[in-house]
Amino acid sequence: MRKSKHNPPRPAQKLLTLFLRRDLAEEVTGDLEERFDKMMLKTSLLRARFDYWRQVLNYIRPFAIRKGRLQKIMHYGMVRSYFKIGWRNIVKYKAFSAINVFGLALAMSVCMLIILMVADQRRYDAFHAKGDRIYRITLSTNYATTPLPLAAAIKNNYTVAEETTVLVPGPAGDAVYQNKLAEMRGYFAEPSFFSIFSFALEKGDVSTALQQPYTAVISQELAFQLYGNDDPIGKTFDFSDRQLAFPQEFDGIGAPPVPWGTFTVTGVVDESKYKSHLAFDVLMSAATQPSLITAKKIEDRTNAWDWFYRPYTFVLLKEDKSLAELQTALDDLSTRTYTDKKNEQTKDLRFIPQKLSDIQLNLRGNDTNNRLPLIGYKFLIILACVIMITACFNYTNLSVARALTRAKEIGVRKVTGAQRGSIVAQFLSESVITSVIALVLAVGFLFLLAPAFKDLWLNKFLKFELPSTPDVYVVFLGFAILIGLIAGIYPAFYLSKYNPVKALKNPGTSQRGKFGLRKTLSVVQFVISLFFITTAILVYRQFSYYMQFDYGFKSENIVNIELQGVDYEKLKHELSSIPEVTNISATDIIPATGTNNGMDIKKPGTQDEYIQTTVLQTDENFLDNLEVKILAGKNLPPREQGANFIVISEKALQKLGFATPHDAVGQTVEARWSNEQLVIAGVFEDFTYRLLINTREVNPITLRNQPTAFQYANVKISSKDPMGAVKKIEAQWKKIDPIHPLKYEFFDQQLASMQQGVFDLVKILGFIAFLAIAISCLGLLGMATYTTERRTKEIGIRKVLGAADFTIARLLSKEFMMMLLLAIFIGVPLSYFINNMWLQKLTTRVEFGITTALAGVFILLALGVITIASQTIRASKANPVNSLKSE
Amino acid sequence: MIETRLGEFEEVILLLTGILGEEAYSFKIAEEFETQTKRSVSIGAVHSTLNRLEEKGFLTSKVGNATAERGGRRKRIYTITAYGRRALESARDLRMSLYNQFPAFAGKMDFGFSV
Repeated sequence: MRKSKHNPPRPAQKLLTLFLRRDLAEEVTGDLEERFDKMMLKTSLLRARFDYWRQVLNYIRPFAIRKGRLQKIMHYGMVRSYFKIGWRNIVKYKAFSAINVFGLALAMSVCMLIILMVADQRRYDAFHAKGDRIYRITLSTNYATTPLPLAAAIKNNYTVAEETTVLVPGPAGDAVYQNKLAEMRGYFAEPSFFSIFSFALEKGDVSTALQQPYTAVISQELAFQLYGNDDPIGKTFDFSDRQLAFPQEFDGIGAPPVPWGTFTVTGVVDESKYKSHLAFDVLMSAATQPSLITAKKIEDRTNAWDWFYRPYTFVLLKEDKSLAELQTALDDLSTRTYTDKKNEQTKDLRFIPQKLSDIQLNLRGNDTNNRLPLIGYKFLIILACVIMITACFNYTNLSVARALTRAKEIGVRKVTGAQRGSIVAQFLSESVITSVIALVLAVGFLFLLAPAFKDLWLNKFLKFELPSTPDVYVVFLGFAILIGLIAGIYPAFYLSKYNPVKALKNPGTSQRGKFGLRKTLSVVQFVISLFFITTAILVYRQFSYYMQFDYGFKSENIVNIELQGVDYEKLKHELSSIPEVTNISATDIIPATGTNNGMDIKKPGTQDEYIQTTVLQTDENFLDNLEVKILAGKNLPPREQGANFIVISEKALQKLGFATPHDAVGQTVEARWSNEQLVIAGVFEDFTYRLLINTREVNPITLRNQPTAFQYANVKISSKDPMGAVKKIEAQWKKIDPIHPLKYEFFDQQLASMQQGVFDLVKILGFIAFLAIAISCLGLLGMATYTTERRTKEIGIRKVLGAADFTIARLLSKEFMMMLLLAIFIGVPLSYFINNMWLQKLTTRVEFGITTALAGVFILLALGVITIASQTIRASKANPVNSLKSE
Repeated sequence: MIETRLGEFEEVILLLTGILGEEAYSFKIAEEFETQTKRSVSIGAVHSTLNRLEEKGFLTSKVGNATAERGGRRKRIYTITAYGRRALESARDLRMSLYNQFPAFAGKMDFGFSV
């Protein structure tokens, strides 16, 4: 029978011998072969082979598996041993473990903060049921907005979209109901808004809510403000548009109220329930727009393909369509639409779909609300990574340094049969345990860190909430394990390389010559620390320079009051009756707070280039009020004397090419575009108009008197009791405008608040610098401790032979001091070079200077020396008897 | 503690071992199982059960002689022990007693002797 030429499949036989108990091998292979032969007679070769496989696999049973192999396959016992030994090692070397755990925990807490931030942002717009099919259409020019007709064009001409909708920021003003006023800002929205997004209405019906003209869906909060606890559905409000800033804080500066008519509430949406990049108080039915256009209250953009600054277009893709198909349709649309290749603005314009889930993290040019742009995350992630790497360096360094101690252990393991893989696993499990312990500590740090981060000034705008949910902890754990592996990988491979014979025979000397890497890593750590320290000092100096900056005008005791549509003359009249008010002027913009308008002027009749000036609409009291010195001529004349007078700054004077201020007075200049002839009434001393954090040169300034443009009153009050004066102003304001509450700010505080962002940066960098130096010093401490421990005997002998304490301390410190000095020699020029890259772009700046460098070096040296000295002095003071008597 | 009761599969395997006598080795038992019960079984499953039954003391085994079949490899021949016989008897007695108590079958278990 054995003559049959077919044999059982070889791989199956191989597999069988791999796991089968040796004592069973003969009978089992015999049985299976007999079976195979039987099957060959009865059925086909294929079936017989298949059957053989089945039989082999069916032998994988506990009784038949070789015991040695079992362990090899499952590893369980060994894994347990790795962790047990790992844990014992951590406990045995408490000091080193503490240094490692602490350093890793510090760095991990920062990384975890960023994980929390990203997790927080990812929760935005996660509630939309069809979210995975929703796309926002953006422009290739990085605009988040698109032309108004786009939504309809996609829906009507292409089959790719199930639904489209467009949101036009428009209504932003006052809603009044029975003398109750609420400010509302929102969008014109189509009924399709609710079929794309999953905003549910608390009251009202989504299918009809936005159908009719002059209907609106309002937020729960607004409904409460207007109607209290009454049912808002069917109630009305009168709306006056004031062009308030929306959707961004700097979108528009307001205008006198324009009544739009009476709106009926058809729905209430509870905004607090949703985390969305779309925030609004009101959605007005898009059907309202035609009648507003007819009444000339809003502009007609219905077919304006070249106006793409405000509307946000959203597309709900059909279930069977892909992003690529949408892009194809959009490309087709843009090439058909923008045929005019001469139009610079539109000739290469493309529409780019952006996934809904991507919107919150990937901020576009004119996006809906303030959030951290991607570059902000990248900046923070880079900082966190640098810190994390520094902490990993510590682990690597201390582990490699202790190689001498562990060489024997590794040797014994190898001699008793451990393969390299097992040693690697041993060391990796140790590092993973360390980093998981660090995770526990890091969560503790995070509880301290997260509130501090939320208190940053920036977060007023970014609104991070940072809740810790279970899924975040899963990510944390994964992160900790990853860090453990990264930190442990080098020591694991380095230490497992040891030749057991050498390691066992002569553990003290066999692994010399590897100090290069450790030194390098330490030096890198200190270079990084020094860089962060000097940068933080520099940014702080820059910040305090800004805070003390002399703008060239006096901002103390000036209260800037937002006019909110109130007539300035009337307000001025009322306020001048208050004794504390010493002077009042008006402006269209608050200088040095980030906004500016331009006006280009030149000498008339010349071929000269127009010079760009910043124009401020103000009145005759402005220069006095801000105590700006007039160099020549007169102050800006009151409006009654004529509209064509201007006063210009010294800088403008130079740019226009006048030799002295007196030459300019009485001269005429020509304004670009309007071609108005303007008479220079006077010249004043330059003051800083732009934001301090600006990369451009100080601009020339022109002042002009146009009362219609006034937005703010600048009220100077006597310095004794500013708050009392404000109270009186408030009382007068109530007389003129009982509806709107007084909106005011102290000018000097306003200017200071412009620098808050810089101070946040100081805090962040300062904190990172603190972490970097703390981690580096921990590493240094570990190394110093280890070295002094290793050399106890040597120190003892030296002392017995007569060495002084100081000599020994110097001997022990020398190596570390060299590292610190090397770090300083690399770090200072590096920091100087990198910091000057951004510093030189600012016009108002401090210099890097020797002081910054010295301060940084001093901090680094002080901390470094204390760390080293703590170990070396202790070692040098030790009684040699103790170290020498025991062998 | 070793479980001494017989499971259904164990009982059948034990019986087949008895039936096959000198030919009772894993492959044959598995083959016989398949032909008699029309149920598919792997040699591994049978072997595992034989191993267990041997541990319980119901079976003993010895390595048989080499034959030309199966590449000259020897077989392990299983023999039922007295203890195994007793386990089968008590299993059968329990079964019979239960069948007799079941009214639908009671009195009909006459093995065809009556008219």
